[in-house]
Amino acid sequence: MTEHTLRPTVYQRLKLSAQLVRTSMHVVRWAIVGLLLAFTLIPLIFMLTTSLKSPIEIRVSGNLFPTEGIFWVNWERAFRNVPLPSYLLNSLIVGIVSTIMTLLVALPASYAFVRFRTGGRFLPSWILGTYIAPPIVISIPVFMLMRTAGLIDRPFGLALAHMVANLPVATWMLMDFIRTVPAEIEEAAQIDGASPWGVLVRIVAPLILPGLVATAIICLILSWNEFLFALVLTYSIRSQTFPIGISEFQGEHGLQFGEISAAALTGILPMYILAMFFQRYLIHGLTRGGIK
Amino acid sequence: MHALHRKTRWQVAWMVLPAILTLLFFSLYPLLYSLALSLSDSQLARPFRAFVAFKNYSDAIADSLFRSSIELTFIYAFGVTLIETAIGFGLALLLNQESGASRFARTLGLLPFITPPVAIAAIWRLIYDPSSGLLNHYLVGSGILEQNVAFLGVPGLALASIMLVDIWQWTPFVFLLSLAVLAGLPHEPYEAAAVDGANPWQQFVHITLPLCLPGVLIIAILRLIGAMKVFDLVFMLTFGGPGSSTQVSSFYIYKVAFQQFKTGYASAMTIILIVVLTILVTLLIGLYRRAQQRFGP
Repeated sequence: MTEHTLRPTVYQRLKLSAQLVRTSMHVVRWAIVGLLLAFTLIPLIFMLTTSLKSPIEIRVSGNLFPTEGIFWVNWERAFRNVPLPSYLLNSLIVGIVSTIMTLLVALPASYAFVRFRTGGRFLPSWILGTYIAPPIVISIPVFMLMRTAGLIDRPFGLALAHMVANLPVATWMLMDFIRTVPAEIEEAAQIDGASPWGVLVRIVAPLILPGLVATAIICLILSWNEFLFALVLTYSIRSQTFPIGISEFQGEHGLQFGEISAAALTGILPMYILAMFFQRYLIHGLTRGGIK
Repeated sequence: MHALHRKTRWQVAWMVLPAILTLLFFSLYPLLYSLALSLSDSQLARPFRAFVAFKNYSDAIADSLFRSSIELTFIYAFGVTLIETAIGFGLALLLNQESGASRFARTLGLLPFITPPVAIAAIWRLIYDPSSGLLNHYLVGSGILEQNVAFLGVPGLALASIMLVDIWQWTPFVFLLSLAVLAGLPHEPYEAAAVDGANPWQQFVHITLPLCLPGVLIIAILRLIGAMKVFDLVFMLTFGGPGSSTQVSSFYIYKVAFQQFKTGYASAMTIILIVVLTILVTLLIGLYRRAQQRFGP
């Protein structure tokens, strides 16, 4: 008898504790997200607030928020002391040109690797293997090559270097996207007399368009952020990019953190807006291309 | 796929031609050129002044700065890879269920990855500042630290401080990729385990961990290769200092090649570095293959 009356209470208690566990997991989960949020955002918020502090306050206080009111002087100086728009324009040109070149080289090659096994295992392995080498390793010969070709301090020269640097990443992602296209679709088109190029342009590329967009954005971001090649291959306002512009603040004007923060935000913002618009593609592209 | 017509074969050859040209000009040629430079007495403006055989190599091996730069690169790369993988994968396990928290974390996780390292290093430099930095302000203010610390000015501490910025930048990336690994897990083993009465902990240890191992290893290898390239953070945060305590390989080679203009010597160091990294990555990929054979689908 006792057993019978006990059973429901044990059951109810279990149910209750399961609910408790679920609620506390929920709380723990949000607490962790909160910590993550703080750790991720504080440096970015600090960048914004520093750009709005008075230069004197920046020197004396590490407070997260401005206490002496908001000043725009850092923004004015950032644009006055350093040719920020030129750096950003160069970054944009280099980014777009290198991204287009990367896709033009990587897309047909990836398609040939996946569908026709061109180059066997050797050729794709070679391309992907170049990712292992740190940029510094090829910077000396590439510098010499660019100098011979008259491409030092030219946006096109830097774009070429970025294409080389991003080729393994783009190839890896694109090969993975192309593998998701069922071969039967392409075979049907081939029977209808379409050439490999025709199939790639008219069937495969439209089918993997989200992946193509993700690859392009990642190439653009990588080029926008790249520092070492920009440092080695450019030396004047004609081709220096945004990351070099940021490092210039340190060299010429001591450590003007307010100005650096304003300048850094100006260069970060376009990428954040771009990422916001293409967030879905980006996460999808990163997580697919990164794992398989 | 099927037998190719001659015309088709030509078309396919054209598809890989740009990639092959790129490899010849920017991979094979640089390698041969570096090898040649490394055997010569070369300056940036005047390459190939004299043939010196393996003198640059013996100099590099005897150079304590070069040896310590490789050591620092390894400490840095393995350190950040371990921490980023542990935290990133741990977070992914916690936030695996589709929930508001996980969607939010996923969006947030994109930000550090797309922030230019140079820009973020600039603000971390102010965060670490010994007199007016954010970290000192709050750590001293709350009594955790007794007095201000020069995070970037103390050997030992400086490298750890740079590593923290790397962890800031890349842990969310590892988290995003780990979520993809978890999303790809099959359902059947869990159903079988539930039938056998395995508790969640047993399921985690005997199913989730082994099944995730290959994917997580790939993420870790990717991060390790990336971290081995560290340059911009060092350039912006410490410029290799204090002393040479944060002078990682990429930075040391940069200084020798482009500030001291000793390109022959720098080339010898790049060849050594490439050999070391190739051996390392080959070993790690072997490890990955074994993990995949054992635990993979």
